[in-house]
Amino acid sequence: MPQIPATVDTLIIGAGIAGLQSALDLAEQGYKVAVVERLPTIGGAMIGLSKVFPTLDCASCITTPKMAAAAHHPNITLLTYAELESVEREGEVFRAQVVQKPRFVDEDLCIGCRLCEYACDTEIPDPYQGGYSALRAIHIPFGNAIPQLALIDEERCILCGKCVNVCPTDAIDFTQKPVGLELEARTVIVATGWKLTPIDAKPQYGGDQIANVISPLQMERLLAPHGPYGRVLRPADGRVPDSIAYVQCAGSRDATLGVSYCSRVCCMYAIKQAMLLSGAVPMADITIYYMDIRAFGKGYEEFYRTAEAMGVQFIKGKVARISEQDNRDLTLRVERIDELGQVEERHHDLVVLSLGMLPAYDPSRLVPLEIASDGFVATPRAKEAPCHTGVEGIFVAGTATGPKDIVDTIVEAGGAASEAARYMRSQDQVAVAAGSEAQ
Amino acid sequence: MSESDKLPTPTPISTPSLTPKKAVSVQKPPLAAAKNDKTSGPGIGVYVCHCGGNIADVVDVKGVVDQASGLEGVAIARENSFMCSDPGQSMILEDIRAGRVDRVVIAACSPSLHETTFRSLLVRADVNPFLVEQANIREQCSWVHHNHEEATAKAATLVRMAVGKARHLKPLSPVRVDAAKRALVIGGGVAGLRAARDLVGLGIDVDLVEREADLGGFVSGLDRLYPDGEVAGDFVERLVSDIEGDPRVTIHRSAEVRRVGGYIGNFTATIASGASSADQSADQSADQSADQSADQSADSTSASTSNVEVEVEAGVVVVATGFRPYAPTRREFGCGRLPGVVTLPDFGRMLADLPDTASSLEVDGRPVRSVGFIHCVGSRQLEGVHKPPKGGTLNKHCSRVCCTATLQTATQLRDRFADVAIHDFYQDIRAYGRGHEELYEQASRADVIFHRYAGDTPPKVRKAPEDDENGLLVNVVDGLTWGEELEIGVDLLVLSVGMTPGDIGTIIDNLKLATSADGFLQEVHPKLRPVEMAVNGVLLAGACQGPKDILESCASASAVAVKAAVLLGKGYVELEPYVAEVDSARCTGAGQCQEACPVEGALELVEEGGGRRAKVNPAICTGCGCCVAVCPSGAINVAGWTLDQFASMVEAITEGEEVAS
Repeated sequence: MPQIPATVDTLIIGAGIAGLQSALDLAEQGYKVAVVERLPTIGGAMIGLSKVFPTLDCASCITTPKMAAAAHHPNITLLTYAELESVEREGEVFRAQVVQKPRFVDEDLCIGCRLCEYACDTEIPDPYQGGYSALRAIHIPFGNAIPQLALIDEERCILCGKCVNVCPTDAIDFTQKPVGLELEARTVIVATGWKLTPIDAKPQYGGDQIANVISPLQMERLLAPHGPYGRVLRPADGRVPDSIAYVQCAGSRDATLGVSYCSRVCCMYAIKQAMLLSGAVPMADITIYYMDIRAFGKGYEEFYRTAEAMGVQFIKGKVARISEQDNRDLTLRVERIDELGQVEERHHDLVVLSLGMLPAYDPSRLVPLEIASDGFVATPRAKEAPCHTGVEGIFVAGTATGPKDIVDTIVEAGGAASEAARYMRSQDQVAVAAGSEAQ
Repeated sequence: MSESDKLPTPTPISTPSLTPKKAVSVQKPPLAAAKNDKTSGPGIGVYVCHCGGNIADVVDVKGVVDQASGLEGVAIARENSFMCSDPGQSMILEDIRAGRVDRVVIAACSPSLHETTFRSLLVRADVNPFLVEQANIREQCSWVHHNHEEATAKAATLVRMAVGKARHLKPLSPVRVDAAKRALVIGGGVAGLRAARDLVGLGIDVDLVEREADLGGFVSGLDRLYPDGEVAGDFVERLVSDIEGDPRVTIHRSAEVRRVGGYIGNFTATIASGASSADQSADQSADQSADQSADQSADSTSASTSNVEVEVEAGVVVVATGFRPYAPTRREFGCGRLPGVVTLPDFGRMLADLPDTASSLEVDGRPVRSVGFIHCVGSRQLEGVHKPPKGGTLNKHCSRVCCTATLQTATQLRDRFADVAIHDFYQDIRAYGRGHEELYEQASRADVIFHRYAGDTPPKVRKAPEDDENGLLVNVVDGLTWGEELEIGVDLLVLSVGMTPGDIGTIIDNLKLATSADGFLQEVHPKLRPVEMAVNGVLLAGACQGPKDILESCASASAVAVKAAVLLGKGYVELEPYVAEVDSARCTGAGQCQEACPVEGALELVEEGGGRRAKVNPAICTGCGCCVAVCPSGAINVAGWTLDQFASMVEAITEGEEVAS
């Protein structure tokens, strides 16, 4: 177990890019920060991406240094694989109950050598690779994970003991139990992030039935340098795709799905992936079916125009249904809005559903704050205080308040850190004033 | 982020001549005399990064590693898929801790991306952070070359040069200078107001400069704000009341920054108070197309010319100068030429000025029965379709806020006038933010009729014949009715004008700021350092960086405040140690260096030991090297970039040529 301070200045919930940026901005000012993360590694969704729009920087090149900086900062404590149980206000402070889930590997002894992983014979689907490749039942989540600590998948481990035999430091401990921790913090930053809208939300798209209909995060992995196949292949049969389609607003702007809002990033990630695909599979045709192209950020419109010039086809139209043919190719029934309004059957061999963003988590179960009707954290004074929950001492960063891209997330994370620091300073001044009055 | 508070005293490495002085402010380790400094000690570690596939797809990383491992002074050469990741860093850390390596060459991306990352790593390893050299084999090699063999050879050469330079690396100490805990905020719009409030909240006093007499900027001239329909004036008043009367904020109204210079921690600016923005608006009309509509220029500014100049000091400069609304030309949709054609901000004011009891809208005395809105006026411009202003460029960018602002205005119009026909001519409705899509939905339900035009066939506007029902006719090829050409009569046509960069030439020139292709200010990196300029200590809030709405401007202003608090929190800042240093023993006081120095005060001649000697002020020196080039006795070097190092790098290049021939 890492040394956990009992008292910190700020408790940050979520160690994605928003939580990490807020943590760094506070820690650099000297505030003590604890970051609680459910997953066994920090880095959030961003570390799973290939490259990022509109600069096409590799996502790792931006994420890993921030991860490393947070991991080594003397003012930051990371609690990974830890579940927040509750946060309660107690006078001027918040008291949080956290449960450290058992890795079944002693955190102090594990040196991250991975010998256990190489010895383990039990394979499980790898969530970091879109489920397209396997992990061992004992594993380090992925190469850049922080911390580099092995953990055992409790459900799937067959207790064969091979890992125990090879571990050079005797770190494997099948008897490990959840450990409860109590933390006291003066402020809380909610950075609980997002998840994709379910791929099976629209049964007519066959998202969960047809292997060649995939999610955008699966495509990210196919395009990533350390992806499951090392190249872009169709999941159904390993063929190189010739014709790839994107169905925009497949999970957003659709009241029937309960997601009437725009998810803000899907146009841009589709355009980005289309560009990367033109490099990865130069012979493939790429078509994007859309309602409105929302390329609104700095350099985004120019990025969109570049994709158009590169030959990516943009068709204004609504996809009604996707069906699979015998050869695993796909037929899309499309109502065209750009032509004469006709309904067409169009053929592609790989389809990406541009799914939207949902809140990853409902923090109101644990933290005394309000959730708005869209399911995200409410920010009652959003225009001037977009990072303020309206509850004293509780701030919010990133996609916890609604879909947004990485740039806007990182800026808001700075804003949340600013709000938290300002709040703590004013508390201190009140305390000093009260102190001098008492004398 | 700054690692400065963690910087230890430079650790002496085994060669005695390398032992530096302790890190003291404005003091440098002595210029060591040894010619080839790397004569003993463990050696150089070369770490070659794959950067996923960014480098490894083009460069044979293994080959580069093999070549590097045979170079003089190299103890170890290794590779990793992401050298900046924790496992990559740990590998280097272990080599240093085990005493295998005492200086480091990283062959990876540009130092502008990760130099600070690797310096922090050396600090963690208790090694002087300047004992690392980065060879850029990504931006300057794998990203720009396709031939694997040639790219690999070039990468190997770059690594050889870095190793050559690393052999002469010496521990350096950053130049420490006191920093004023003050900020100069330029611009009193929403971003500037919000930045000022957050800065004082974090213990940084503020000078806020606003060119107009009133605070609030562009937003103060609006009617209602999206997405909640709040009255703009109320909103601005709230922001202003947060800082007005606060003794920590000095507000300079009707003022402008005449000059600003200096460096992080120590900027100085001359603020001309009571000045009108006359010369700025003159600039504005000069670079606008000559036939712009008269009402667009800032003719509302006072004609006061009483120039009271004050000097202020600041540790950071926050640029919050906002944007300029696009001024349509008379060719564009008849703006300024046809009656009843107005911009969206103008229309907002019309609505605001309308008495609550007004039962109808009127233009030129005739009732308005039909209103049209045209989106993307001055945004998303295309080559061959739009004409750039004289000497200017096209506005290819999307202005981000106009779609939702238009929808907000259209629904507001509908709320007041149930019988007016409303037509909305758009390309894509970009209602992306929280509550925006709802406004789109609301507008659709309120019988706003949408017509979709393609970017290369914008609507055409002309005056209707006298006997026509409406004053103006709009012709549009409507994509929503499958390309049908429609003629729509309107009495009032509202142009949703975009955002263009503000007139901040003085600030850009004085501080040497970078702009991006769209003309807005260019941050260091959109994700790593989104509110910082490449010039240390210059921060960006709001729409001077690119179109932003109020929420986004406020978020960036808050982020600026936290960055300023980090930069100035310690009361001092540390500057790069790459400044000129003089070997007094060799200096003959010839003085060419002083003549060559382009920076006032950076180099002086002083009496020392019975003669004139050159003396450098490291806080001001930019390390340009002009003095090095002219010194007749070779007494000056730029620390970290010495002549020995250059010679060694050049040798490394030619070594490669010999091998090749």
